[in-house]
Amino acid sequence: MKTLGYGLRQGLKNIGQNRLFSLAAIGTIATCLFLLGIFYALISNFQNMVYNAESNVGITVFFDEGISEDQINWIKEKVLACKTVEKVVYISADEAWERFQKEMYSEDDKIEDTFGGDNPLKDSASFEVYLSDVSNQESIIHFIKKLDGIRKVNGSNTVASSLTNFNLLVTYVSASIIILLLMVSIFLISTAVATGIRVRKDEISIMRYIGATDLFIKMPFLVEGVVIGMVGAIIPLILLWFLYGRMVQFILTHFEVLSRWLTFVNTAEEFKTLIPLFLLVGVGIGFVGSAVSVQKHLREME
Amino acid sequence: MRQENELIRLDNVKVTYPAGTEALKDINLSVQKGEFMFVVGSSGSGKSTFIKTLLGEVKAASGRLLVAKHDLGRMKRRELPYYRRTLGVVFQEFRLLDDRNVYENVALAQRVIGVSSDKVRRNVMQMLEMVGLDERKRAYPKELSGGEQQRVAIARAMVNRPSILLADEPTGNLDPKNSWEIMNLLEEMNQLGTTVIVVTHNNEIVDKLKKRVVTLNKGEIINDEVQGGYIQ
Repeated sequence: MKTLGYGLRQGLKNIGQNRLFSLAAIGTIATCLFLLGIFYALISNFQNMVYNAESNVGITVFFDEGISEDQINWIKEKVLACKTVEKVVYISADEAWERFQKEMYSEDDKIEDTFGGDNPLKDSASFEVYLSDVSNQESIIHFIKKLDGIRKVNGSNTVASSLTNFNLLVTYVSASIIILLLMVSIFLISTAVATGIRVRKDEISIMRYIGATDLFIKMPFLVEGVVIGMVGAIIPLILLWFLYGRMVQFILTHFEVLSRWLTFVNTAEEFKTLIPLFLLVGVGIGFVGSAVSVQKHLREME
Repeated sequence: MRQENELIRLDNVKVTYPAGTEALKDINLSVQKGEFMFVVGSSGSGKSTFIKTLLGEVKAASGRLLVAKHDLGRMKRRELPYYRRTLGVVFQEFRLLDDRNVYENVALAQRVIGVSSDKVRRNVMQMLEMVGLDERKRAYPKELSGGEQQRVAIARAMVNRPSILLADEPTGNLDPKNSWEIMNLLEEMNQLGTTVIVVTHNNEIVDKLKKRVVTLNKGEIINDEVQGGYIQ
Protein backbone atom coordinates (compact mmCIF):
# COMPACT_ATOMS: atom_id res chain seq x y z
CA MET A 1 0.00 0.00 0.00
CA LYS A 2 2.86 2.36 0.91
CA THR A 3 4.65 1.30 -2.26
CA LEU A 4 1.51 2.17 -4.22
CA GLY A 5 1.23 5.57 -2.51
CA TYR A 6 4.87 6.34 -3.24
CA GLY A 7 4.46 5.06 -6.81
CA LEU A 8 1.43 7.27 -7.34
CA ARG A 9 3.19 10.43 -6.12
CA GLN A 10 6.34 9.77 -8.10
CA GLY A 11 4.40 8.58 -11.17
CA LEU A 12 2.44 11.84 -11.31
CA LYS A 13 5.69 13.73 -10.81
CA ASN A 14 7.21 11.82 -13.74
CA ILE A 15 4.34 12.87 -15.98
CA GLY A 16 4.92 16.50 -14.98
CA GLN A 17 8.65 16.22 -15.60
CA ASN A 18 8.25 14.55 -19.02
CA ARG A 19 5.37 16.80 -20.02
CA LEU A 20 6.13 16.71 -23.72
CA PHE A 21 6.34 12.94 -24.08
CA SER A 22 3.42 12.40 -21.74
CA LEU A 23 1.26 14.78 -23.77
CA ALA A 24 2.31 13.09 -27.02
CA ALA A 25 1.43 9.69 -25.58
CA ILE A 26 -1.90 10.94 -24.18
CA GLY A 27 -2.68 12.57 -27.55
CA THR A 28 -1.96 9.39 -29.50
CA ILE A 29 -3.96 7.16 -27.18
CA ALA A 30 -6.83 9.65 -27.25
CA THR A 31 -6.73 9.76 -31.07
CA CYS A 32 -6.51 6.01 -31.28
CA LEU A 33 -9.40 5.48 -28.90
CA PHE A 34 -11.42 8.22 -30.55
CA LEU A 35 -11.08 6.36 -33.84
CA LEU A 36 -11.83 3.11 -32.07
CA GLY A 37 -14.98 4.76 -30.72
CA ILE A 38 -16.03 5.90 -34.18
CA PHE A 39 -15.43 2.45 -35.66
CA TYR A 40 -17.19 0.85 -32.74
CA ALA A 41 -20.18 3.15 -33.19
CA LEU A 42 -20.25 2.34 -36.90
CA ILE A 43 -19.99 -1.39 -36.32
CA SER A 44 -22.48 -1.51 -33.46
CA ASN A 45 -24.99 0.58 -35.37
CA PHE A 46 -24.44 -1.45 -38.50
CA GLN A 47 -24.87 -4.65 -36.52
CA ASN A 48 -28.02 -3.22 -35.01
CA MET A 49 -29.34 -2.50 -38.47
CA VAL A 50 -28.27 -5.95 -39.68
CA TYR A 51 -30.01 -7.48 -36.67
CA ASN A 52 -33.19 -5.61 -37.47
CA ALA A 53 -32.91 -6.62 -41.11
CA GLU A 54 -32.21 -10.19 -40.07
CA SER A 55 -35.35 -10.24 -37.97
CA ASN A 56 -37.24 -9.43 -41.14
CA VAL A 57 -35.47 -12.04 -43.21
CA GLY A 58 -37.39 -15.27 -42.76
CA ILE A 59 -37.54 -18.75 -44.15
CA THR A 60 -40.96 -19.83 -45.43
CA VAL A 61 -41.84 -23.49 -44.95
CA PHE A 62 -44.76 -25.02 -46.91
CA PHE A 63 -46.34 -28.32 -45.85
CA ASP A 64 -47.46 -31.32 -47.86
CA GLU A 65 -51.11 -31.35 -48.86
CA GLY A 66 -53.49 -32.71 -46.22
CA ILE A 67 -50.93 -32.53 -43.39
CA SER A 68 -52.39 -33.08 -39.91
CA GLU A 69 -52.22 -30.56 -37.06
CA ASP A 70 -50.10 -32.96 -34.98
CA GLN A 71 -47.56 -33.20 -37.75
CA ILE A 72 -47.43 -29.40 -38.04
CA ASN A 73 -46.81 -29.15 -34.30
CA TRP A 74 -44.08 -31.79 -34.52
CA ILE A 75 -42.36 -29.82 -37.33
CA LYS A 76 -42.61 -26.62 -35.24
CA GLU A 77 -40.94 -28.32 -32.25
CA LYS A 78 -38.15 -29.66 -34.44
CA VAL A 79 -37.49 -26.28 -36.05
CA LEU A 80 -37.62 -24.41 -32.73
CA ALA A 81 -35.03 -26.81 -31.35
CA CYS A 82 -32.47 -25.45 -33.85
CA LYS A 83 -29.92 -23.13 -32.18
CA THR A 84 -30.29 -19.88 -34.11
CA VAL A 85 -34.05 -20.09 -34.66
CA GLU A 86 -35.58 -17.18 -32.80
CA LYS A 87 -39.25 -17.74 -33.54
CA VAL A 88 -41.61 -19.75 -35.71
CA VAL A 89 -44.88 -18.14 -36.83
CA TYR A 90 -47.71 -20.27 -38.22
CA ILE A 91 -49.55 -18.75 -41.16
CA SER A 92 -52.81 -20.56 -41.85
CA ALA A 93 -54.19 -20.95 -45.40
CA ASP A 94 -56.86 -18.31 -44.66
CA GLU A 95 -54.28 -15.83 -43.36
CA ALA A 96 -52.13 -16.45 -46.43
CA TRP A 97 -55.10 -15.79 -48.72
CA GLU A 98 -55.98 -12.62 -46.81
CA ARG A 99 -52.40 -11.30 -47.03
CA PHE A 100 -52.30 -12.11 -50.72
CA GLN A 101 -55.51 -10.19 -51.35
CA LYS A 102 -54.24 -7.18 -49.40
CA GLU A 103 -50.92 -7.10 -51.20
CA MET A 104 -52.23 -7.72 -54.72
CA TYR A 105 -55.66 -6.09 -54.95
CA SER A 106 -57.26 -2.89 -53.81
CA GLU A 107 -60.22 -2.95 -51.47
CA ASP A 108 -62.54 -2.10 -54.32
CA ASP A 109 -61.71 -5.25 -56.24
CA LYS A 110 -64.25 -7.94 -55.53
CA ILE A 111 -61.73 -10.75 -55.73
CA GLU A 112 -63.80 -12.96 -53.46
CA ASP A 113 -66.52 -13.03 -56.07
CA THR A 114 -64.10 -14.39 -58.63
CA PHE A 115 -63.36 -17.42 -56.48
CA GLY A 116 -66.86 -17.72 -55.14
CA GLY A 117 -65.72 -17.57 -51.49
CA ASP A 118 -63.26 -20.47 -51.94
CA ASN A 119 -59.70 -20.18 -50.77
CA PRO A 120 -57.45 -20.89 -53.76
CA LEU A 121 -54.49 -21.12 -51.34
CA LYS A 122 -56.11 -23.78 -49.17
CA ASP A 123 -52.96 -25.93 -49.18
CA SER A 124 -50.65 -22.98 -48.57
CA ALA A 125 -50.45 -22.99 -44.75
CA SER A 126 -46.86 -22.27 -43.81
CA PHE A 127 -44.36 -21.46 -41.13
CA GLU A 128 -42.31 -18.27 -41.15
CA VAL A 129 -39.00 -19.06 -39.45
CA TYR A 130 -36.96 -16.13 -38.05
CA LEU A 131 -33.27 -16.54 -37.28
CA SER A 132 -30.99 -14.71 -34.84
CA ASP A 133 -28.03 -15.16 -37.20
CA VAL A 134 -28.73 -15.18 -40.92
CA SER A 135 -25.42 -16.84 -41.76
CA ASN A 136 -26.95 -20.13 -40.55
CA GLN A 137 -29.85 -19.91 -42.95
CA GLU A 138 -28.57 -22.47 -45.43
CA SER A 139 -28.01 -25.22 -42.86
CA ILE A 140 -31.44 -24.59 -41.31
CA ILE A 141 -33.12 -24.83 -44.74
CA HIS A 142 -31.23 -28.06 -45.37
CA PHE A 143 -32.40 -29.42 -42.03
CA ILE A 144 -36.06 -28.46 -42.55
CA LYS A 145 -36.14 -29.94 -46.07
CA LYS A 146 -35.24 -33.33 -44.61
CA LEU A 147 -38.24 -33.36 -42.23
CA ASP A 148 -41.39 -35.36 -43.09
CA GLY A 149 -44.39 -33.38 -44.35
CA ILE A 150 -42.39 -30.57 -45.99
CA ARG A 151 -43.29 -29.59 -49.55
CA LYS A 152 -41.11 -26.55 -50.12
CA VAL A 153 -38.74 -24.26 -48.22
CA ASN A 154 -38.01 -20.70 -49.41
CA GLY A 155 -35.06 -18.72 -48.07
CA SER A 156 -33.52 -15.36 -48.87
CA ASN A 157 -29.90 -16.26 -49.20
CA THR A 158 -28.63 -13.30 -51.12
CA VAL A 159 -29.73 -10.75 -48.56
CA ALA A 160 -28.47 -12.88 -45.71
CA SER A 161 -25.01 -13.55 -47.06
CA SER A 162 -24.36 -10.03 -48.36
CA LEU A 163 -25.33 -8.54 -44.98
CA THR A 164 -23.03 -10.94 -43.15
CA ASN A 165 -20.14 -10.40 -45.58
CA PHE A 166 -20.35 -6.61 -45.38
CA ASN A 167 -20.49 -6.78 -41.62
CA LEU A 168 -17.33 -8.92 -41.59
CA LEU A 169 -15.53 -6.57 -43.98
CA VAL A 170 -16.22 -3.53 -41.79
CA THR A 171 -15.06 -5.45 -38.69
CA TYR A 172 -11.79 -6.59 -40.30
CA VAL A 173 -10.88 -3.20 -41.75
CA SER A 174 -11.57 -1.34 -38.53
CA ALA A 175 -9.80 -4.00 -36.42
CA SER A 176 -6.65 -3.67 -38.57
CA ILE A 177 -6.59 0.12 -38.27
CA ILE A 178 -7.19 -0.04 -34.53
CA ILE A 179 -4.46 -2.64 -33.94
CA LEU A 180 -1.99 -0.46 -35.88
CA LEU A 181 -2.90 2.60 -33.82
CA LEU A 182 -2.69 0.68 -30.56
CA MET A 183 0.83 -0.40 -31.46
CA VAL A 184 1.80 3.23 -32.09
CA SER A 185 0.35 4.13 -28.68
CA ILE A 186 2.31 1.39 -26.93
CA PHE A 187 5.49 2.61 -28.64
CA LEU A 188 4.86 6.20 -27.51
CA ILE A 189 4.17 5.20 -23.91
CA SER A 190 7.33 3.11 -23.89
CA THR A 191 9.29 6.12 -25.15
CA ALA A 192 7.77 8.40 -22.50
CA VAL A 193 8.61 5.89 -19.76
CA ALA A 194 12.12 5.28 -21.15
CA THR A 195 12.77 9.02 -20.99
CA GLY A 196 11.56 9.03 -17.40
CA ILE A 197 13.91 6.17 -16.55
CA ARG A 198 16.87 7.98 -18.12
CA VAL A 199 16.04 11.16 -16.20
CA ARG A 200 15.80 9.20 -12.94
CA LYS A 201 18.81 6.96 -13.58
CA ASP A 202 20.69 8.24 -10.49
CA GLU A 203 17.67 7.87 -8.27
CA ILE A 204 17.09 4.28 -9.45
CA SER A 205 20.72 3.41 -8.84
CA ILE A 206 20.58 4.88 -5.30
CA MET A 207 17.31 3.12 -4.57
CA ARG A 208 18.89 -0.18 -5.57
CA TYR A 209 21.78 0.42 -3.15
CA ILE A 210 19.45 1.16 -0.28
CA GLY A 211 17.42 -2.00 -0.79
CA ALA A 212 14.46 -1.02 -2.95
CA THR A 213 12.65 -4.00 -4.44
CA ASP A 214 12.03 -4.20 -8.19
CA LEU A 215 8.35 -3.49 -7.61
CA PHE A 216 9.14 -0.32 -5.64
CA ILE A 217 11.41 0.94 -8.43
CA LYS A 218 8.98 0.00 -11.20
CA MET A 219 5.82 1.31 -9.51
CA PRO A 220 6.19 5.03 -10.44
CA PHE A 221 6.74 4.12 -14.10
CA LEU A 222 3.83 1.70 -14.16
CA VAL A 223 1.64 4.36 -12.54
CA GLU A 224 2.88 6.86 -15.16
CA GLY A 225 1.86 4.52 -17.99
CA VAL A 226 -1.50 3.67 -16.44
CA VAL A 227 -2.35 7.34 -15.76
CA ILE A 228 -1.36 8.33 -19.32
CA GLY A 229 -3.53 5.49 -20.63
CA MET A 230 -6.45 6.45 -18.41
CA VAL A 231 -6.35 10.15 -19.35
CA GLY A 232 -5.98 9.08 -22.98
CA ALA A 233 -9.17 7.04 -22.57
CA ILE A 234 -11.23 9.66 -20.73
CA ILE A 235 -10.68 12.45 -23.30
CA PRO A 236 -12.20 10.58 -26.29
CA LEU A 237 -15.00 9.25 -24.06
CA ILE A 238 -16.06 12.82 -23.26
CA LEU A 239 -15.71 13.90 -26.89
CA LEU A 240 -17.68 10.92 -28.19
CA TRP A 241 -20.40 11.38 -25.59
CA PHE A 242 -21.14 14.83 -26.99
CA LEU A 243 -20.54 13.98 -30.63
CA TYR A 244 -22.46 10.70 -30.86
CA GLY A 245 -25.85 12.01 -29.78
CA ARG A 246 -25.49 15.10 -31.96
CA MET A 247 -24.45 13.06 -34.97
CA VAL A 248 -27.41 10.70 -34.65
CA GLN A 249 -29.74 13.63 -34.30
CA PHE A 250 -28.15 15.34 -37.29
CA ILE A 251 -28.61 12.26 -39.52
CA LEU A 252 -32.17 11.72 -38.39
CA THR A 253 -33.20 15.33 -38.95
CA HIS A 254 -31.26 16.04 -42.13
CA PHE A 255 -31.73 12.71 -43.89
CA GLU A 256 -35.31 11.85 -43.15
CA VAL A 257 -35.46 9.34 -46.01
CA LEU A 258 -32.75 7.26 -44.34
CA SER A 259 -34.32 7.48 -40.94
CA ARG A 260 -37.03 4.99 -42.00
CA TRP A 261 -34.59 2.13 -42.16
CA LEU A 262 -31.68 3.42 -40.07
CA THR A 263 -32.14 2.42 -36.45
CA PHE A 264 -29.41 3.82 -34.19
CA VAL A 265 -28.22 2.40 -30.87
CA ASN A 266 -28.94 5.01 -28.18
CA THR A 267 -26.07 6.88 -26.46
CA ALA A 268 -26.47 5.24 -23.05
CA GLU A 269 -26.48 1.78 -24.60
CA GLU A 270 -23.43 2.60 -26.70
CA PHE A 271 -21.45 3.89 -23.68
CA LYS A 272 -22.32 0.85 -21.59
CA THR A 273 -19.72 -0.90 -23.72
CA LEU A 274 -17.50 2.04 -24.65
CA ILE A 275 -16.66 3.16 -21.08
CA PRO A 276 -15.29 -0.19 -19.83
CA LEU A 277 -13.76 -0.92 -23.25
CA PHE A 278 -11.87 2.40 -23.39
CA LEU A 279 -10.71 2.23 -19.78
CA LEU A 280 -9.55 -1.35 -20.26
CA VAL A 281 -7.75 -0.58 -23.51
CA GLY A 282 -6.28 2.71 -22.20
CA VAL A 283 -5.09 1.27 -18.91
CA GLY A 284 -4.02 -1.92 -20.66
CA ILE A 285 -1.80 -0.26 -23.25
CA GLY A 286 -0.49 2.14 -20.60
CA PHE A 287 0.47 -0.75 -18.38
CA VAL A 288 1.89 -2.94 -21.15
CA GLY A 289 3.82 -0.03 -22.73
CA SER A 290 5.39 1.01 -19.43
CA ALA A 291 6.01 -2.55 -18.20
CA VAL A 292 7.87 -3.47 -21.40
CA SER A 293 9.96 -0.31 -21.26
CA VAL A 294 10.69 -0.57 -17.52
CA GLN A 295 11.72 -4.20 -17.80
CA LYS A 296 14.03 -3.49 -20.74
CA HIS A 297 15.70 -0.34 -19.41
CA LEU A 298 16.06 -1.44 -15.79
CA ARG A 299 17.79 -4.64 -16.91
CA GLU A 300 20.17 -2.55 -19.02
CA MET A 301 21.00 -0.41 -15.98
CA GLU A 302 21.92 -3.36 -13.77
CA MET B 1 33.21 -16.47 20.55
CA ARG B 2 34.98 -15.12 17.50
CA GLN B 3 32.60 -16.99 15.14
CA GLU B 4 29.53 -15.71 16.99
CA ASN B 5 30.64 -12.13 16.44
CA GLU B 6 31.70 -12.67 12.87
CA LEU B 7 29.68 -10.45 10.54
CA ILE B 8 31.58 -10.82 7.26
CA ARG B 9 33.53 -13.83 6.11
CA LEU B 10 35.32 -14.36 2.81
CA ASP B 11 36.78 -17.82 2.07
CA ASN B 12 38.98 -18.05 -1.03
CA VAL B 13 36.88 -15.49 -2.82
CA LYS B 14 37.88 -14.94 -6.41
CA VAL B 15 36.29 -12.32 -8.66
CA THR B 16 36.93 -12.36 -12.38
CA TYR B 17 35.63 -9.77 -14.83
CA PRO B 18 34.25 -10.85 -18.24
CA ALA B 19 37.45 -9.69 -19.98
CA GLY B 20 39.26 -12.28 -17.88
CA THR B 21 40.88 -9.87 -15.43
CA GLU B 22 41.19 -11.33 -11.95
CA ALA B 23 40.08 -8.43 -9.74
CA LEU B 24 40.22 -10.39 -6.46
CA LYS B 25 42.36 -13.49 -5.97
CA ASP B 26 41.66 -15.98 -3.19
CA ILE B 27 40.62 -13.44 -0.60
CA ASN B 28 40.29 -14.74 2.96
CA LEU B 29 38.99 -12.27 5.47
CA SER B 30 36.89 -12.10 8.61
CA VAL B 31 35.27 -8.96 9.99
CA GLN B 32 33.72 -8.88 13.47
CA LYS B 33 30.59 -7.07 14.62
CA GLY B 34 31.40 -3.49 15.59
CA GLU B 35 34.79 -3.40 13.87
CA PHE B 36 36.16 -0.34 12.08
CA MET B 37 38.26 -1.35 9.09
CA PHE B 38 40.11 0.53 6.38
CA VAL B 39 40.70 -1.07 2.99
CA VAL B 40 43.61 0.61 1.23
CA GLY B 41 45.64 0.09 -1.89
CA SER B 42 46.69 1.76 -5.10
CA SER B 43 44.41 2.17 -8.13
CA GLY B 44 43.55 -1.21 -9.63
CA SER B 45 44.34 -3.03 -6.39
CA GLY B 46 40.76 -4.37 -6.15
CA LYS B 47 39.33 -1.99 -3.51
CA SER B 48 36.29 -1.04 -5.57
CA THR B 49 35.67 -4.65 -6.57
CA PHE B 50 35.84 -5.56 -2.89
CA ILE B 51 33.06 -3.05 -2.07
CA LYS B 52 31.01 -4.08 -5.13
CA THR B 53 31.29 -7.73 -4.11
CA LEU B 54 30.07 -6.94 -0.59
CA LEU B 55 27.18 -4.99 -2.12
CA GLY B 56 26.21 -7.99 -4.24
CA GLU B 57 26.82 -5.96 -7.38
CA VAL B 58 29.58 -8.29 -8.53
CA LYS B 59 29.40 -12.07 -8.06
CA ALA B 60 32.35 -14.11 -6.91
CA ALA B 61 33.55 -16.63 -9.47
CA SER B 62 34.52 -19.02 -6.68
CA GLY B 63 34.85 -19.17 -2.92
CA ARG B 64 32.31 -18.41 -0.21
CA LEU B 65 31.15 -14.99 0.92
CA LEU B 66 28.98 -14.68 4.03
CA VAL B 67 27.67 -11.27 5.11
CA ALA B 68 25.30 -10.90 8.05
CA LYS B 69 24.25 -14.55 7.66
CA HIS B 70 23.58 -14.10 3.93
CA ASP B 71 25.45 -16.45 1.61
CA LEU B 72 26.02 -14.13 -1.35
CA GLY B 73 26.97 -16.95 -3.72
CA ARG B 74 23.62 -18.64 -3.28
CA MET B 75 21.54 -15.52 -3.04
CA LYS B 76 18.71 -15.18 -5.58
CA ARG B 77 18.26 -11.92 -7.48
CA ARG B 78 14.97 -11.18 -5.68
CA GLU B 79 16.66 -11.54 -2.27
CA LEU B 80 19.28 -8.88 -3.03
CA PRO B 81 17.18 -5.83 -2.00
CA TYR B 82 16.49 -7.39 1.41
CA TYR B 83 20.18 -8.16 1.88
CA ARG B 84 21.10 -4.59 0.96
CA ARG B 85 18.90 -3.33 3.76
CA THR B 86 21.49 -4.70 6.18
CA LEU B 87 24.05 -2.36 4.60
CA GLY B 88 24.48 1.39 4.44
CA VAL B 89 26.54 2.84 1.60
CA VAL B 90 28.37 6.15 1.26
CA PHE B 91 30.07 7.19 -1.98
CA GLN B 92 32.83 9.64 -2.86
CA GLU B 93 30.48 11.70 -5.05
CA PHE B 94 27.70 11.76 -2.39
CA ARG B 95 24.97 10.68 -4.86
CA LEU B 96 22.19 12.83 -3.44
CA LEU B 97 19.06 13.62 -5.44
CA ASP B 98 19.30 17.25 -6.52
CA ASP B 99 15.54 17.70 -6.88
CA ARG B 100 14.84 16.76 -3.25
CA ASN B 101 15.76 18.56 -0.08
CA VAL B 102 17.88 17.16 2.74
CA TYR B 103 14.90 15.69 4.56
CA GLU B 104 13.51 13.97 1.44
CA ASN B 105 16.91 12.56 0.52
CA VAL B 106 17.20 10.85 3.89
CA ALA B 107 13.53 9.87 4.02
CA LEU B 108 13.86 8.02 0.69
CA ALA B 109 15.83 5.27 2.42
CA GLN B 110 12.98 4.79 4.90
CA ARG B 111 10.25 4.90 2.25
CA VAL B 112 12.05 2.24 0.23
CA ILE B 113 11.66 -0.21 3.10
CA GLY B 114 8.04 0.77 3.76
CA VAL B 115 8.34 2.64 7.07
CA SER B 116 5.17 4.53 8.08
CA SER B 117 5.13 8.33 7.65
CA ASP B 118 5.17 9.03 11.43
CA LYS B 119 8.20 6.87 11.96
CA VAL B 120 9.91 8.30 8.89
CA ARG B 121 9.59 11.80 10.33
CA ARG B 122 10.90 10.74 13.73
CA ASN B 123 13.81 8.66 12.42
CA VAL B 124 14.89 11.16 9.79
CA MET B 125 14.89 14.07 12.22
CA GLN B 126 16.82 12.02 14.76
CA MET B 127 19.41 11.14 12.12
CA LEU B 128 19.69 14.72 10.87
CA GLU B 129 20.29 15.89 14.44
CA MET B 130 23.01 13.29 14.75
CA VAL B 131 24.85 14.56 11.69
CA GLY B 132 24.16 18.18 12.69
CA LEU B 133 21.92 19.09 9.78
CA ASP B 134 18.48 19.23 11.42
CA GLU B 135 18.29 22.94 10.82
CA ARG B 136 19.11 22.55 7.15
CA LYS B 137 16.45 19.95 6.45
CA ARG B 138 14.78 22.09 3.80
CA ALA B 139 17.98 22.92 1.94
CA TYR B 140 18.67 21.36 -1.45
CA PRO B 141 21.98 19.54 -2.10
CA LYS B 142 23.27 22.35 -4.31
CA GLU B 143 22.91 24.79 -1.40
CA LEU B 144 25.19 22.65 0.81
CA SER B 145 28.97 22.39 1.10
CA GLY B 146 30.71 19.14 0.14
CA GLY B 147 31.07 18.18 3.80
CA GLU B 148 27.39 18.84 4.46
CA GLN B 149 26.39 16.79 1.43
CA GLN B 150 28.46 13.87 2.65
CA ARG B 151 26.82 14.17 6.07
CA VAL B 152 23.42 13.93 4.39
CA ALA B 153 24.67 10.83 2.55
CA ILE B 154 25.77 9.32 5.87
CA ALA B 155 22.38 10.12 7.41
CA ARG B 156 20.68 8.39 4.46
CA ALA B 157 22.97 5.38 4.79
CA MET B 158 22.40 5.12 8.56
CA VAL B 159 18.71 5.98 8.93
CA ASN B 160 17.63 2.35 8.46
CA ARG B 161 20.09 1.28 11.19
CA PRO B 162 22.14 -1.10 9.04
CA SER B 163 24.60 -3.44 10.71
CA ILE B 164 27.34 -2.57 8.23
CA LEU B 165 28.33 0.80 6.80
CA LEU B 166 30.39 0.69 3.60
CA ALA B 167 32.12 3.93 2.67
CA ASP B 168 33.82 4.13 -0.70
CA GLU B 169 36.35 7.02 -0.62
CA PRO B 170 34.05 9.13 1.59
CA THR B 171 36.61 11.95 1.88
CA GLY B 172 37.79 11.83 -1.73
CA ASN B 173 36.05 15.08 -2.67
CA LEU B 174 36.56 16.93 0.60
CA ASP B 175 39.11 19.32 2.07
CA PRO B 176 41.09 18.15 5.16
CA LYS B 177 38.77 19.88 7.66
CA ASN B 178 35.62 18.35 6.20
CA SER B 179 37.40 15.02 5.75
CA TRP B 180 38.09 14.87 9.49
CA GLU B 181 34.52 15.82 10.31
CA ILE B 182 33.27 12.97 8.15
CA MET B 183 35.73 10.51 9.70
CA ASN B 184 34.63 11.59 13.18
CA LEU B 185 31.06 10.99 12.18
CA LEU B 186 31.90 7.52 10.88
CA GLU B 187 33.68 6.76 14.15
CA GLU B 188 30.59 7.92 16.01
CA MET B 189 28.45 5.50 13.97
CA ASN B 190 30.95 2.77 14.78
CA GLN B 191 30.72 3.53 18.47
CA LEU B 192 26.97 3.02 18.25
CA GLY B 193 27.64 -0.57 17.18
CA THR B 194 27.76 -0.35 13.39
CA THR B 195 30.54 -2.20 11.62
CA VAL B 196 32.29 0.36 9.41
CA ILE B 197 34.40 -0.47 6.35
CA VAL B 198 36.11 2.48 4.70
CA VAL B 199 37.88 2.25 1.37
CA THR B 200 40.29 5.15 1.10
CA HIS B 201 43.40 6.69 -0.39
CA ASN B 202 43.78 9.13 2.47
CA ASN B 203 46.98 7.97 4.21
CA GLU B 204 46.90 10.74 6.79
CA ILE B 205 43.54 9.64 8.14
CA VAL B 206 44.46 5.95 8.06
CA ASP B 207 47.73 6.56 9.91
CA LYS B 208 46.16 8.78 12.56
CA LEU B 209 43.09 6.72 13.40
CA LYS B 210 45.02 3.52 14.14
CA LYS B 211 42.24 1.15 13.11
CA ARG B 212 42.42 -2.22 11.37
CA VAL B 213 43.92 -1.76 7.90
CA VAL B 214 43.63 -4.31 5.08
CA THR B 215 45.96 -3.54 2.20
CA LEU B 216 45.16 -4.84 -1.26
CA ASN B 217 47.56 -5.11 -4.15
CA LYS B 218 46.66 -6.56 -7.57
CA GLY B 219 43.62 -8.28 -6.09
CA GLU B 220 45.44 -9.87 -3.15
CA ILE B 221 45.59 -9.00 0.53
CA ILE B 222 49.21 -8.15 1.17
CA ASN B 223 48.75 -6.85 4.72
CA ASP B 224 46.10 -7.03 7.45
CA GLU B 225 46.98 -5.16 10.66
CA VAL B 226 44.82 -4.55 13.73
CA GLN B 227 46.16 -1.06 14.44
CA GLY B 228 47.76 -0.52 11.11
CA GLY B 229 48.95 2.29 8.92
CA TYR B 230 48.93 3.14 5.26
CA ILE B 231 51.39 1.09 3.20
CA GLN B 232 52.47 2.86 -0.01
